[in-house]
Amino acid sequence: MRLYILWPYMSMPNELAREVKRGSTELLILALIEDRPRHGYEIARLIGERSEGTITYHVASLYPTLYRLEDRNLIEGRWVEKAGQRRRRYYRILPEGRKVLASQRSVWEGFFLALDRVVKLRQA
Amino acid sequence: MDWKARVRAAFASRTIPDDDIVEELAQHAASAFEAARADGCDPAEAGRRVETHLAAWAGQSAMLARRPSRSPAVEPPAAAAPWFAGLGYDVHYTFHVLRRQWTHAAVIALTLALGVGATTVLFSVAYGVLLKPMPWRDADRLIRVYETRQGSTRKPTFLTNGTYLAWNERPATIENLAGWSVYPAAMTGVGQAERVRVVEATASLFSMLGAQPTLGRLFATAADGGAEPSQVVLSHQLWQRKFGGARDVVGRPLQIDGQPYRVVGVASEAFAFPDREVLAYIPFNVPPVGGKDGQGGTISMFAALAKLRPGVTPAQAAAEATASGRSAPDPGLVTIAVFGTKGQVQVSAVPLLDSVVGEVRPALLMFLVAVVLLLAVATANVASLQLARATSRRREIAIRSALGAGGSRLTRQLLVENLVVGQIGGLAGLLLAAVLLRVLPSLAPADFPRVADIGLDWRVALFSIGVSLAASLAFGLAPVLQARGVNVSEALAEDGLAPVGGHTRSKTARARLLIMAGQIATAAVLLVGAVLLTRSFVALMRADRGYDPANVLTARLLLPDSSYSAQRRSELVEGTIERLKQLPGVRAAAVASRLPLAGAEILSAFPVPGRRGGREVSAHAALRQVSPGYFAALGLRIIKGRGFAETDTAASQQVVIVNRTFAAQYLDDPPIGVRFAFDREVVGVVDDVRYGGVGDPVQPEMYLLSRQLKSGFTVEEPMVLVRTAGNPLLLASTLRSIVRQMAPLAAVESVMTMEDRVWTSLARPRLYAVLLGGFAAFALAVAGVGLFGVLSYSVSLRAREIGVRTSLGATPWSIIGLVVRQASVVTAAGLIVGLGAAAMLARSLSSLLYGVAPSDPITFVAVAALLAVVAVVACVVPARRAARVDPVRVLR
Repeated sequence: MRLYILWPYMSMPNELAREVKRGSTELLILALIEDRPRHGYEIARLIGERSEGTITYHVASLYPTLYRLEDRNLIEGRWVEKAGQRRRRYYRILPEGRKVLASQRSVWEGFFLALDRVVKLRQA
Repeated sequence: MDWKARVRAAFASRTIPDDDIVEELAQHAASAFEAARADGCDPAEAGRRVETHLAAWAGQSAMLARRPSRSPAVEPPAAAAPWFAGLGYDVHYTFHVLRRQWTHAAVIALTLALGVGATTVLFSVAYGVLLKPMPWRDADRLIRVYETRQGSTRKPTFLTNGTYLAWNERPATIENLAGWSVYPAAMTGVGQAERVRVVEATASLFSMLGAQPTLGRLFATAADGGAEPSQVVLSHQLWQRKFGGARDVVGRPLQIDGQPYRVVGVASEAFAFPDREVLAYIPFNVPPVGGKDGQGGTISMFAALAKLRPGVTPAQAAAEATASGRSAPDPGLVTIAVFGTKGQVQVSAVPLLDSVVGEVRPALLMFLVAVVLLLAVATANVASLQLARATSRRREIAIRSALGAGGSRLTRQLLVENLVVGQIGGLAGLLLAAVLLRVLPSLAPADFPRVADIGLDWRVALFSIGVSLAASLAFGLAPVLQARGVNVSEALAEDGLAPVGGHTRSKTARARLLIMAGQIATAAVLLVGAVLLTRSFVALMRADRGYDPANVLTARLLLPDSSYSAQRRSELVEGTIERLKQLPGVRAAAVASRLPLAGAEILSAFPVPGRRGGREVSAHAALRQVSPGYFAALGLRIIKGRGFAETDTAASQQVVIVNRTFAAQYLDDPPIGVRFAFDREVVGVVDDVRYGGVGDPVQPEMYLLSRQLKSGFTVEEPMVLVRTAGNPLLLASTLRSIVRQMAPLAAVESVMTMEDRVWTSLARPRLYAVLLGGFAAFALAVAGVGLFGVLSYSVSLRAREIGVRTSLGATPWSIIGLVVRQASVVTAAGLIVGLGAAAMLARSLSSLLYGVAPSDPITFVAVAALLAVVAVVACVVPARRAARVDPVRVLR
C-alpha cells in the first residue's frame, strides 16, 4: 500500500530549521566545552568547521550566548595567560551545564524524530 | 593594529561594553583577522571581514553591555584527556537516556531476561545431567552390561550369574567386572529400627569406582563365609545420623533384615552409588549356576558394571560377554521364566553415563534446541527494536560527531548503552533462572536422573553472563555499525521512514519484518510441541489401563520372612482383608503380590498342553498371587468365565485365571476348563492390565489364589488395596491401625491412592509438557512483547501521519485498522512458516507422544488461534494510542 499525503503546512520545515538554530546554540556551546575548556574564537571556529554547513551560526550571537550561559551558572569563563600567546578567556562547563546538556540532548532526540517525520511526509 | 580601539569604535554610538568584554572581542577580532590573512586575503579584505563581525557585535550591544563583574582567577586549560575520560559520563548519560525512554529499555531488558533466564535453566539442566562428568575414577571407561535372550520381548536390565562368572574368568576387553542390586531392608540393632536402602555389591565395585573409605576399610575380599557375621560399609550420611559420626563405629554389630552384620568401614562423603538414597553396602557373592543337565539351576540377576581396558569399545566388550555367556551352564526352565524364551545369550553394553541419562537425552536435546532458538529470537527482537531506535538517533549521533566526538567515543557510548541494558536484562534473567531452578526439583520426577547435579554453579552463572554479553553485543552491533558510518546507514536512513510491516521498501524494514515473522514462527513451533506433549499427557492420564484407579487406596505391608512364615503371612493378610471389608464405605478389599506400578514381580515358566491337541509347550507368565476380591477391588474386566469366588478354597479344585494375552498365546478357544500347571483349571479370562507403562508390551499373566497355594503367601511385601465409596485417603489411618493390631511387627508403607500412583508414574511426560509449555509461553511472551514493542514504536513514528489522516477525516476505527493490518500481515506470515516447520519437527517428537498424532489437526488449529489472539492483544495498546493521537498537538 502506498501512502500519498498532501502536506498542508509547507512553511513548517523552515520554521523548524529556525527552531533548530535557536535551540541549538546553547547545546552546541555546551557540547563543545564538555570535554575541555575553549575560548570564544575557538568555539566559533569549531562550530563553523565541524558542522560543515549543517548548522549555520551567526557570530553575533556567540558572545551574548556565552554571557547568558555564564549568568545562568552553566559555564564559567576565566582569563588565562600563557607565555608567547595572547591573553585568552577560556570557558569551561559547570555541573549545572552538564545537566542542561544532558536534558537538551534528549529534547533533541525527540526533535530529530519529529524532523524525520517531516522529511518522510514530504517524500511520501 | 589596536583591535580594542576598533571594537570601541564599532560600538561608538551605542553603549560600550565592559573592558574585558572589549578585550575578549578584540582578541576574537585579532584571531579572525589573522585567520583571514592565513587564508590568503590581503589586509584590506581581511579587515573588511572583521568589520562584519564588529558590526554584528555592535548590533548586540544591549546584550553585551550588561555584564556582571568577573572573577580574575587564572586557570590553565586541562591537559589532553586519557581514553577513559568521560566513561563515567557515558554511563551517566546512558542512565539518563534509559530514564527518558524507560519503557523502551524495560522492553529490551525484559525480553533479554526471558531469553537468558530460559537458556540458563536449560543449560544448567543439560550440563548437570548430560555433560557433568560422573564422580567415578575413569568414568568414561565404565559401561553398564545388560543380558537378554534372542527373541525376548522383555527389556534387559541385568546380568545373570552364569554370564558374570564365565566372563569374569579371563576377560580380555575389560579390567574389572562388578555386580550389585539395590533393595530396601530393615536395619535393627542400632537405635530405632528403620528401613534403609541397601546395596548388595561385589567387592570389585568399590575398587572399580575408585572409592576411598572415610573410616575403616571397604570390602577387601570377595567373601565372608560361614557363620562369621558379614561386613557392612556405612554411607557417610548414615554414619553421621545413626552413629553421630563416632570414630569407634568400626566393629559394631547390627542386623539387616534380621541377619547379623559387623561394620567394617564408612564410605567417603562424596561416595553415592548408585544414588544418595543408599545408606549401606553389604557384600554380594555371585552364586554359581549349579544344577545338572540344564535343569533346576540357580539363576541370579543383578545390575552389572564393567571397566573397559583403554582403547576397547563397549561393542567389543559386549561381544566378548556374549561369547562367554553362551559357554556358561544353562539354569534350565527358569531361563524361560525370566526371559520368556530359551534363545541364545545376548549381551549389550552402554557407557555408564548413557545408561543413566540415555532416556532423557533426546528430550533434553529437544529442549536445548528450543531454548537456543528462543534466545536467538529474543536477541533478534531486541536488535530490531534497537535498530528502529538507532535510526531516530541518527541525527543526535551526527551532531555529536560534528561537535568533535570521535568514532571511538561514539562507539563507546553506544556500546556502553547496550551493555548496560543488556546486563540489566542478563541479571534479571539470571535471577529468573535461580528462581526456576529452585522450583525445578519439585517438578522433576523421582526417577529423573542426576537431579542433584542440576544447579546454579559458577559455570552456569558464567554461561549466563556470557550469553547476555554476547546477546547485548549482538543487538548493540547494528547501531554501532551505523554510527561508524558503515554502509548500513544508508539503509537505515530510509528505514526510519518505513512503518514496520506496512512497507518493505528498505532492506532493514524487510529484515525487521522477517525477524518478527520469525518470532511468531518460533512461538508456533514451540507451542505445537507443547500442545502435543500436553495432549499426549492428557491421553496418558485417560488411557485405558484395564483397571479403574478411582477411589482405591493402596499400601504395602512389610511382613519379612525373618518375622513371618508364609503360612502366618497368609493368615494375617486374609484377616486384615476381612476386617477392612467390614468397614463402612468399603466396597471391596483385597491383597495381591503386585499392583499396577507397585509390588513384586513373580516370573514363572511351566508346561502347558499344546493347542489343538499339539505337543506340550513351555509357557512363561508373570504370576499374581491375589485374594478373591482382587478383581472387584481394582475394577478389572472379566471377559470370559468368572472371577475368583469365596467358594474357591484350599480344599476345592485349584483354579487359575489368565489374562487375554496368555489365552491368546497359549490356550485353545474356549480356554475355560483347560488344565495345566499342577492340574489347575482355567475358570476365567481377564482383560489385559497395564501393570507398567501404558505403552509397554503386555506379558502373559496368570492369577492364582494365595489361599490355594501350598506354600502360602510367598511375597514378603504384599500390596493391600481397598475400593471405597468416598475419598479413599480417609481410610489410611484406619488401615494402619488394623495392621498394627493384626501384626505388631509389620510396617505399612507407601500408602497412596491408585490415582496418585498413576499420576506419579506420569511425572516424566508431565515434566516435559510443563517445561516445553514454559518455553512456549516464553516464546509467546517474547513474540507478544516484540510485536507490542515494534507496533508501539511504529505508532510513535507515524504519529504525524496519523495526525494528518485524522485531521483529514479518518475515523479512529480506520486508524486502528492501520495498526491491526500491520500486525496481521506479520502474524499470518509467521504462522504459515511456523506451522509448516512444526509439522516437520513434530515427527521427531513421535517417540515422546502417546495417543496423539504428530500432525494432530486440533493442535495446529489451536496454536494458530492462540497466536492470533496474542497478536490482537499486542495490538490493543498501540492501536488505542494511535486512535487517540491529537492532530493539533502532533502537527503544531
